[in-house]
Amino acid sequence: MSSPDFSQNYFQLFELPVQFAIDTQLLGNRYRQLQRELHPDRYASAAEHEKRVAVQYSAFVNEAYSALRSPLKRALYLLELKGMSQQEISGQQVDGGFLIEQMELREKLESMHDLVDPDTVLDHLVAEISSDIKIHQAEFEAAYNQSDLTAAASACVKMQYLEKILQEAEQIESELMDS
Amino acid sequence: MLLQIAEPGQSPLPHQVKLAVGIDLGTTNSLVASVRGGRADVLVDESGQFMLPSVVNYSSPDGPVVGSAALELASQHPADTLVSVKRFMGRGRKDAGKDAERSHYRLADGEEGMVSFVTSQGDISPVQASAEILAVLGERARQTLGGEIEGAVITVPAYFDDAQRQATKDAATLGGLPVLRLLNEPTAAAVAYGLDSQEEGVIAVYDLGGGTFDISILRLHRGVFEVLATGGDTALGGDDLDAAIVNWALEQAADVELQAGQYRALHRMARKAKESLSSELVVELPLGDVIADADPVTLRREEFEAFIQPLVKRTLRACRRCLRDADIDAVDDVVLVGGSTRVPLIREAVEDFFKRPPLIDIDPDRVVAIGAAIQADILVGNRPEGDLLLLDVIPLSLGLETMGGLVEKIVPRNTTIPVTRAQEFTTFKDGQTALAVHIVQGERELVADSRSLARFELRGIPPMVAGAARIRVTFQVDADGLLNVTAREETTGVESAVTVKPSFGLSDEQITEMLQSSFSHAEEDKTARQLAEQRLDAEQLLQGLDAALAADGAELLSEAECQALHQKMQALRDAARGEDGALLRALTEELGRASEAFAARRMDKSIKQALAGVSLEELDQEVRE
Repeated sequence: MSSPDFSQNYFQLFELPVQFAIDTQLLGNRYRQLQRELHPDRYASAAEHEKRVAVQYSAFVNEAYSALRSPLKRALYLLELKGMSQQEISGQQVDGGFLIEQMELREKLESMHDLVDPDTVLDHLVAEISSDIKIHQAEFEAAYNQSDLTAAASACVKMQYLEKILQEAEQIESELMDS
Repeated sequence: MLLQIAEPGQSPLPHQVKLAVGIDLGTTNSLVASVRGGRADVLVDESGQFMLPSVVNYSSPDGPVVGSAALELASQHPADTLVSVKRFMGRGRKDAGKDAERSHYRLADGEEGMVSFVTSQGDISPVQASAEILAVLGERARQTLGGEIEGAVITVPAYFDDAQRQATKDAATLGGLPVLRLLNEPTAAAVAYGLDSQEEGVIAVYDLGGGTFDISILRLHRGVFEVLATGGDTALGGDDLDAAIVNWALEQAADVELQAGQYRALHRMARKAKESLSSELVVELPLGDVIADADPVTLRREEFEAFIQPLVKRTLRACRRCLRDADIDAVDDVVLVGGSTRVPLIREAVEDFFKRPPLIDIDPDRVVAIGAAIQADILVGNRPEGDLLLLDVIPLSLGLETMGGLVEKIVPRNTTIPVTRAQEFTTFKDGQTALAVHIVQGERELVADSRSLARFELRGIPPMVAGAARIRVTFQVDADGLLNVTAREETTGVESAVTVKPSFGLSDEQITEMLQSSFSHAEEDKTARQLAEQRLDAEQLLQGLDAALAADGAELLSEAECQALHQKMQALRDAARGEDGALLRALTEELGRASEAFAARRMDKSIKQALAGVSLEELDQEVRE
């Protein structure tokens, strides 16, 4: 079994440059290539311990792929590689204006159930949040490229806030669907 | 260890082709398929039938009757004839209530919180009934293929949770089939189509089975199938379309009270009516055959469509959500699975939703079994490498109970498997020596709304100040979608790992016991299993020690102590490669004892560190204030 070097960082594992901009097609191709070799199904008739090792390798590759594929996770991982801990990142200050916007978004979401046509309003809201996330991704990339880790971490925190609201919006949507 | 079969990548010689089967264990019907001469097809019984009704009758003391013969006995012995047992797999009595009411079963509490059916031949679990069905299909395959089955792939609805998967695997083992893999039904269907086409693109699989609805979105890319998202409804299926007709018919007959046998007969009449309405515009139900003096009633296709409309809408909602999860706007192909997808309204609704005419080249009743047979052929090693690889996902989020009855998600739904995720927890009381771990599955935020998979307690945590212990809980989901959870206290190197089985499944001991009563080779299995478990124990101990030595070995141990420990570790490593279980156990225990002193020193060190940490934090707090 050819084994990936677990001491490599995720970018090295997929032979990609350590940066926020990513060639998703290349990432996908390298991911599938690694899984072709390591997936436990390739060892279905092998000894038990080989199967277990394959499960571990394959899980590691899955973990690396999921960390690089999502822009937010990728941003967090880049900061982690720069030596920032989760606590340092989440301890970043965000400006008051952003927080007020978040509160407004949340209020809109909470009143969704009382609307006559919640679906359309919700669609608009989801589109708005998604475009905000893109803005903060660009903000992160610029800050990271200038090695301004504080600003990069702050952009990350904003992305986290917005992703969380997006999840809540989807939760509300599925509740509306099921009602 | 040297009885090497073909290495992955090497194609075995023709005479080494191994017999492998794919089995679609359905709610209503079950099928077995195999690849012969490079072609996958279903296997028929002696009367030429490929579908085996998933029905088991327990009215005779001579043993259970399976299939069409059991179906014939259904009206006569309703309580002894188990149909749709798949709906009860891995379910507790409470969950089963609604389905049971509809099926007129008498239920009992089985072992480990599982539901059982009361029959005149004793209490029968859904796992046992399913095992009978699988045993019949296994025997059919042995007869047709002329040899022992080396491996089977059993399909399950993508939306099955951990308990339901474990129950299915248990049933296969009990039915005498060596399970290579559990495969999600929609993924199997995609394989059946994808392998011929060798296309690239995104495929949606709409699978309306007898008792479950599944929707999956997959991407096919140079022989790699990547499941992007999966969703569905375990409580919605083709049976519900039949039930809608039954309810309508009862209204027509002025809501008479039916006996269980009559209800079964009416259900069969409804299914036939549904099937006829796929080609006819009007169908007549001779209600007089079931209810004395009742007049025949006619059902028009539009009427039928009107009362199944809400069910169809429910499936489309799941489709929309699944597309979103997959982050996909459009698909290249749509595959239909399940007999109920022959209903014209469903075909139209699916075409309308995905804006693609669905693929129907392969019989929707056989497509899952065919895909499973192809996957079995690959896994058993009959095909060259690079042929096909499946990357599947976990259908439901896995999490832990935290303070206040809330769920903390550890592995979110649609995460590609296999996956390993760990989360660290700590103690919240000084001197706390145990931590309760409760594993749940589902999308809801409250534990009360989620499915409880297992509970266990991590004991033997050395007493420390609150917050000093680092308890790492690791979730590992294998390629079958089955979960293992281990918990370990990290600061001390004291090994306390626990592996759990879902509380609704059978325990390994139970399976072993049941096997012993039915198969002669059970003893061998047990020995092999024990050896495997001992190897695992040894490996865990070695891994833990390796990590502990790397972290603190140089600081806390003298050269001589370190060397002594390494010698014992090497001896254990050697034994783990051998077959002597007793030796392995003895050496594991010996190493465990030998490393206790080291563990104690690490404990001391961590307590000192923890105390130092607390005072620093307090200091920090004061400065900030």
